[in-house]
Amino acid sequence: MGNMNKLAAVAQIKWLCMSQNTAVVIGPFMVIGMVWGFKILYSNFGPNGELIPIMMAMLLNLGVTMNICINGFLMVGTAIAEEKEKHTLRVLMTSSVTGMQYFIGSILYPFVLTVVINFAILWVSGIEMGQVSVPVFFLVSVIASLISCVIGMIVGICASTQMNANLIGYPLMMVFMMVPILGNLSEGLRRISGFLFTGVVTQMTDCFANGMEYKIEALDIAVLFGELIISMLVFLVMYRKNGYEKD
Amino acid sequence: MEQNVLLQLSHISKRYKTELALKDINMELHPGEILGFLGPSGAGKTTTIKIITGQLRQTSGEAKILGTDSANIDASIYERIGVVSDNSGIYEKMTVWQNLNMFAKIWRVPRTRVEEVLRQVDLSEHSKKQAGKLSKGQKQRLVLARAVLHKPRILFLDEPTSGLDPTTAVEIHKMLLDLKKEGMAIFLTTHNMEEATKLCDNVALLYQGEIVEFGSPQELCLKYNHDKRYQILLDDRKEIILEQSPENIRKIAEWMEKDQVQCIHSCEPTLESVFLQVTGKTLNAW
Repeated sequence: MGNMNKLAAVAQIKWLCMSQNTAVVIGPFMVIGMVWGFKILYSNFGPNGELIPIMMAMLLNLGVTMNICINGFLMVGTAIAEEKEKHTLRVLMTSSVTGMQYFIGSILYPFVLTVVINFAILWVSGIEMGQVSVPVFFLVSVIASLISCVIGMIVGICASTQMNANLIGYPLMMVFMMVPILGNLSEGLRRISGFLFTGVVTQMTDCFANGMEYKIEALDIAVLFGELIISMLVFLVMYRKNGYEKD
Repeated sequence: MEQNVLLQLSHISKRYKTELALKDINMELHPGEILGFLGPSGAGKTTTIKIITGQLRQTSGEAKILGTDSANIDASIYERIGVVSDNSGIYEKMTVWQNLNMFAKIWRVPRTRVEEVLRQVDLSEHSKKQAGKLSKGQKQRLVLARAVLHKPRILFLDEPTSGLDPTTAVEIHKMLLDLKKEGMAIFLTTHNMEEATKLCDNVALLYQGEIVEFGSPQELCLKYNHDKRYQILLDDRKEIILEQSPENIRKIAEWMEKDQVQCIHSCEPTLESVFLQVTGKTLNAW
């Protein structure tokens, strides 16, 4: 019971901090706004003002991967860096909050937000919901969001300031976001994309946009769970070395 | 470890690459005691607090807090200590109430205790104010309120009045003395010797990572009171300082007979002068 209290308190603190940080809050709205704007802009290319499948695929790929990367890498990472900058992390960690409670409390809201916004993106994009396998989309979204939040925690451990978190987070975001999106243009990138968790996400959204049935393959499952395990291990190694904050 | 020893440091040393930050530190802290850790900036005061509170690992020696090795400090120990670091660490965008209420949830402290502590630190009427908009003194009172919210057995204070105006510093001193009366043990680091003399039962003078003197402020002052001196203000506003000697005593008696003395004070050494005698350095030089 006491542990749940602490977890709830940490999650609430993180939520208040994130919701009061304009730079962090703007991310999810920007993604939804971008999807909505592109939809309006490119609707003219299709019959009856609808998006053609290739445009819908691009829109979903961009929206979903950007959402996953922004909320995970940047929102989580920047929030930890902000706590370091303002010396509140040290206060929390000497107040009887455990590393695990801080971990869960830190990723809880960004994780839920990422999954919810992924569904919002589907809705805003105007895709025919009959083309979407909701359970599969949910499962892949959940795992991908979790991976990105864990990577965000790693970014947070490495960064000492918010600027620092952005410097580390943006290159990661470029790799995990742009490689799958540009995979349609280059065979090499497409192959690499198949080994990225965001690549699995774009394969799925490509299928939905083109009205094809998406069957999750063994390699996709291996990539998703493999990268989740790897990111957790990297986080644990880094946490065991210096905790959340290096002295 | 004796039951009434809350904190025990035995032969603690800390090395950062080539620099020795702490050297063979030994001390104990008991309930209701205020222990001052005094020294200039960079002497190792914050490093000591970090080692005791499990934020930093010592190179050698043993630090025991509430019977537990500080290397193995866990949530149950953190629930019984309060830490005020040299940086305030308050959530500036949250209100005063939110800042305390979040930690009340962590420590499972009832709402009435939050209200009580707010009254104690005289911040009740600012409870809905954003913490970032408080004055420096109010922020420090908020930090102190947060640290004592769960009635810890030991309170660690790292330079609690540094940069505060004298009135606020006096208010904080009063609060600390009240907490001491309640039986709380306080580990205080400061470079303010007056503060230490006023508050501490025992002080450790720290210089270049080493405790160069330990004892009560009065004991230390008496120990280093080698040259007894008197400060005399004469009727003609002339201020004279004389060392104790038969000749000077005769001179003083003569002035007193002639009713020429306005006032006379014995010049006891202060912790500042003790520090100077022991290290050859003044604290102000830092």
